[in-house]
Amino acid sequence: MRKLIKGKRKGKIVGQVRKPRVTWKDNPWILQLLDDPSLSADLNYIADDLVARASGVAWGKGLCVACKGGKFLCGKTRCPLVVRLKSYFRTFPLIRGTDVDGASPPGVFVGRIGYPYVYAGPLVPPVHEDTSLYDLPELWFGKSIDEIVGFRSLLVRGKHRVHVKKFEEAGKIMDRTRELALSVGPVDVELALKNKPRRSFVLDDEVQPFGPSAVIRDLSVSTSRWDHQIEKAYGDTDLKAAEAVTTLYEKDVLVTKIQRAFSVGAFGLKNGRRLVPTRWSITAVDSIISKDMIEKIKAFPEVNEYRVYESHYLDNRFEVLVMPRAWSYEAMEAWYPGTVWNPSGECVVMFSDWEGFDGRTTYADVGGCYYAARLAVGELLVKERRQASVVVLRGAHPGYIMPVGVWQVRENVRNAMRQRPLKYNTLEEALARIASRFQIPLERWVEKSRLLQDALFQRRITEYLKG
Amino acid sequence: MFKVRMADAKFLKDMISAISILIDEATFDLTSDGIKLRAMDPSRVAMVDFEWQKTVFDEYVCGEAMKMCVNISEMMKLLRRTGKDESVELSLDEKTGRLKIAIKGKYTRTFNMPTLEAIEEEVPTPKVTFNVRAKTTTEGLREAIEDASLVSDHVRIEADNEKMVMQATGDIMGATIELKKGSDALLDIEAKEASKATFSLSYLSEIVKAAVATSDIATLEFSTDMPIKLDFKQPKEGKLTFYLAPRIEVE
Repeated sequence: MRKLIKGKRKGKIVGQVRKPRVTWKDNPWILQLLDDPSLSADLNYIADDLVARASGVAWGKGLCVACKGGKFLCGKTRCPLVVRLKSYFRTFPLIRGTDVDGASPPGVFVGRIGYPYVYAGPLVPPVHEDTSLYDLPELWFGKSIDEIVGFRSLLVRGKHRVHVKKFEEAGKIMDRTRELALSVGPVDVELALKNKPRRSFVLDDEVQPFGPSAVIRDLSVSTSRWDHQIEKAYGDTDLKAAEAVTTLYEKDVLVTKIQRAFSVGAFGLKNGRRLVPTRWSITAVDSIISKDMIEKIKAFPEVNEYRVYESHYLDNRFEVLVMPRAWSYEAMEAWYPGTVWNPSGECVVMFSDWEGFDGRTTYADVGGCYYAARLAVGELLVKERRQASVVVLRGAHPGYIMPVGVWQVRENVRNAMRQRPLKYNTLEEALARIASRFQIPLERWVEKSRLLQDALFQRRITEYLKG
Repeated sequence: MFKVRMADAKFLKDMISAISILIDEATFDLTSDGIKLRAMDPSRVAMVDFEWQKTVFDEYVCGEAMKMCVNISEMMKLLRRTGKDESVELSLDEKTGRLKIAIKGKYTRTFNMPTLEAIEEEVPTPKVTFNVRAKTTTEGLREAIEDASLVSDHVRIEADNEKMVMQATGDIMGATIELKKGSDALLDIEAKEASKATFSLSYLSEIVKAAVATSDIATLEFSTDMPIKLDFKQPKEGKLTFYLAPRIEVE
């Protein structure tokens, strides 16, 4: 049977003309933009410096070519590429030749392309000052997208090819990268690169943006003090990685610092240690910490009322509904037309994922944001020693012109949970408040939400105990 | 003093497994007549009502009445180690508060586990007048619920004097499952009035899947938009009954 089909198709395959490789990676309009003499003079642009690329999410369809950053055809309130270009050309004059000399925040990046052979290396800005802010999202809340892209673009990423399990024997570049990752504050670094660092314009929703990159020729790191708690976990080769993460978190080590050490393989049993791509490590750490918190939360008494916590930042609106029920959690996202993940749509696109009292066993479709928000929600419940059913509703509006990383969700929800909640006696009142904050009708949220449906429609047996 | 023995460990394992689908920490009432448990799941959507007379056991000693609370999933871990033709013996050491579980077969192993602080709260059973009473084979009921689970996460059950119909509507697919009176699945049905109610399939399927190991015949009782009572007939003197609150969609 199989043979028969093969035979039938054979003619077709021969007849097929192989299409030329799609060139969406090259972003023609940026090149055109730069051909404009007034603009390129303004930007002080040198043609060789730039490899303009975009992930093809929004600009694969020719909109960008027609718009050239001026007409906002994609629906966003500003052009994300122009924002990036601007800060990029501010960074570039600072980098002379193939060496970058500066204070690393500290920051490291482990790529995921080619796993298990990945690019790992430090993030080094060409400046000598207190750069600790540059790689510490805990301090970013409230900053504008320009500010964040501004200092992130300064970070030059050095790349070194390493096998994730054999990083211990990978030589001094890897050793120094790890040393750097465990440092408590900014460290002076001399980064010698094989080529002049180049910039790729790539969109990514989970990892905070960073500047140009190049392969490392040599790396030297000045002596630095390590974070005491992290050093202890690093030295303990009998401590499992997940336990290291939760112990450090309980000792008030910042999530970002734990995650940075996690990604360079600083935790775990002696033979289990490995490098973890930055983007995976962020979600892994969020997930491990919040899972541990949930086990505690499940033993606490339920909250007494319905609550709504709110936060709005970077044109992302968060409404967190806390209900007096057994622990369960849902993360919902609504992407308005013109936003990154819904560039050409005409209606709002919604995603949702949830877990019940017993948790979940598969990766949430919503992605890293699910776990980041779960951590922020868990922090409040653990602090209050209360149990609840929580629904996090997120509206991403067109002013959110580019994804800046999962930290935005974590810090935005954390900010919501720091506010004094709006309290209600009934679910209907709480839902009315939430509905008034979005342009989306309540029915659409309910239709998509397992937990809201449960809360509205599922009766409890306790209602029938009295005759 | 509490000490019991059961020649067939599987019997105990299946029952504890059925209880474990709803609750994590179970408080058993131990009296000279037998053991009892009545508890709700953490979401308080479902309830289990369980009872074993002392005659179910091959040996039953219980001095004064007391309560014993154990972590059911931990207990399950130990009981899962029981094999065919093995016997099990439970005994409570009141001084240390530890429960001893001895499994005897080809060899003997004795586990011990801590008991927890018992919850004193007494839970009454739901006060509901049931208009429909249907007798099914547990296996047939399990199959029907599994069918419905394919397309949706909740199911509407409708019944009159002739048949019971399960209707499931999902986002993209739907299912209608009809059980006629006198068929292999539906042994008997009586309806004072035609009734229908909707229930969560995740609860229903967990309950029925677990109960299938302990019982061949199930009796369903329900009324329009009221809780359902699922009673699983036990081979020996005892009972295993679940109550599940309905889902009521307000338009």
